[in-house]
Amino acid sequence: MLQGALAGLAAGGLYAVLAVCLTLMSRLVRVVNFAQSATGMFGCYVAVYLSVHAGLPTWAATVVGILLGGALSALLGWIISTWLAEADIGTRSAVTVAVLLLLISLSFILFGNKPQPFHPILDGPAFSVNGVVVSQVTVVTVVLSVAIAVGCRALLGRTSFGLELRALSERPTTAELMGIPAKPLAVAVWAVTGLLSTLVISIVAPSQSNDATSLSMLVVPAAAAALLGGFRRLDLAVVGGLVLGMAQGAVAQVDSLSVVRYFLPFLVIVGLLLWSQRKEVWDVAR
Amino acid sequence: MNALQVRDITVTRGAGPVIREVGFTLEPGRITALVGPNGAGKTSLLEAISGVVPAARGSVHIGDVEVTKHSRVARAKLGLSHIEQGRAVFPGLTVLENLKLTARTWPRVDEVLALFPELDKRRNSPTALLSGGEQQMVVLARAFAARPKFLLIDEMSLGLAPVVFTRLLPMVTRFATEGAAILLVEQFTHLALGVSQDAIVVSSGRVTYQGSAQDLLATPQTLHSAYLGE
Repeated sequence: MLQGALAGLAAGGLYAVLAVCLTLMSRLVRVVNFAQSATGMFGCYVAVYLSVHAGLPTWAATVVGILLGGALSALLGWIISTWLAEADIGTRSAVTVAVLLLLISLSFILFGNKPQPFHPILDGPAFSVNGVVVSQVTVVTVVLSVAIAVGCRALLGRTSFGLELRALSERPTTAELMGIPAKPLAVAVWAVTGLLSTLVISIVAPSQSNDATSLSMLVVPAAAAALLGGFRRLDLAVVGGLVLGMAQGAVAQVDSLSVVRYFLPFLVIVGLLLWSQRKEVWDVAR
Repeated sequence: MNALQVRDITVTRGAGPVIREVGFTLEPGRITALVGPNGAGKTSLLEAISGVVPAARGSVHIGDVEVTKHSRVARAKLGLSHIEQGRAVFPGLTVLENLKLTARTWPRVDEVLALFPELDKRRNSPTALLSGGEQQMVVLARAFAARPKFLLIDEMSLGLAPVVFTRLLPMVTRFATEGAAILLVEQFTHLALGVSQDAIVVSSGRVTYQGSAQDLLATPQTLHSAYLGE
């Protein structure tokens, strides 16, 4: 089971990075971005195409894919910031559902509906603990998730740029009236989260189910992890992602329970939503 | 010319115009009181000047630059500051962080805090935890820290006790003596007129009086008639 839990840590790191991205998006630009992993998937698929069919070196194709993921996300951010600047979070989030479906459909049309022949960026073991091997992918994704969360926390808490982002997230109109450029800042947040999502998906995708739907639906476990932090706390989003990944890995080791791993994110989401609506919170909400 | 000019502006909301062909000039160092009954269109007028809502007709000029089509951010960068109705603080930010947003430098923050000793004592408190009067002080201090050339203040007294409001008014006067042109929308008409040089009365979206604030204050009948749109 320990082997399974550690094997699940790579996916956990992926969930954690995506959860941090979702949390940043929700806090700073008032969107639950359901297309968070779909933009990453699309960037990665283009990278695979460039590598396999256009003969680009894997590293160069990966860089192009990551930049494309960031650019796609930035474009979506620009559209939402331009035409839905004053819309509520529900409307803005609904647009990302449409983008999610669009990107899945587009990937089917352009690349077919089969998993892609990803070349691993990282391969092999990093070290072993009591005979249990920990892969390089696991180490990198976990370190990346913690580093991104710590870095974002420092950026938001200690820099003028972070201060402006926090102001913008609380009162966008007031921030603009003070000369804080809402649109460029919002697009920057979209672009950075798009880059990070594509980066982490390109690291993990070669070692797991990598068809377009599976990669795009990574947003579900990521949302479960982000929900643990209430879409506000980056540290809990990271913890949620890592624990969820490990739990899925551990459950997969038990034959009678292995199918449960697919439902685990949904169970976590339902559980957290019910917990958040427990009696005392419900009373306050009313 | 270093003034803010509003030329024949019309603002539409929903079915029809709420402000009709209103024009005036805000000059440096002067306070203009904008008063009128509830629903007269005062807030809409301020929002059109700062770019929160578009003007259907007419134009707004900051100095020699027409800003009617400019973004809110561009107008702010030309020296226009708009204090919105209610307490427009960033509740999750501390007092210092609120001020740092416009002050840009720590010496300027300290300079502003020296004018608001109450805030200095609570500099590290989240503004959500401050009283209504203190929150409004943060908003004023934040605007002051930006050194605006033109300041639009919308119902600063909303939800505050008159005694708290009267403590804030001298700060508005101070802004003006340092060279800012101020447009003051206020429900406490007499207090607003008392600190203003110029006055505009708006009723049902139209200007019904434009002239000296002191003359208006001295002739209650004129004020009454202007409020009624006569």
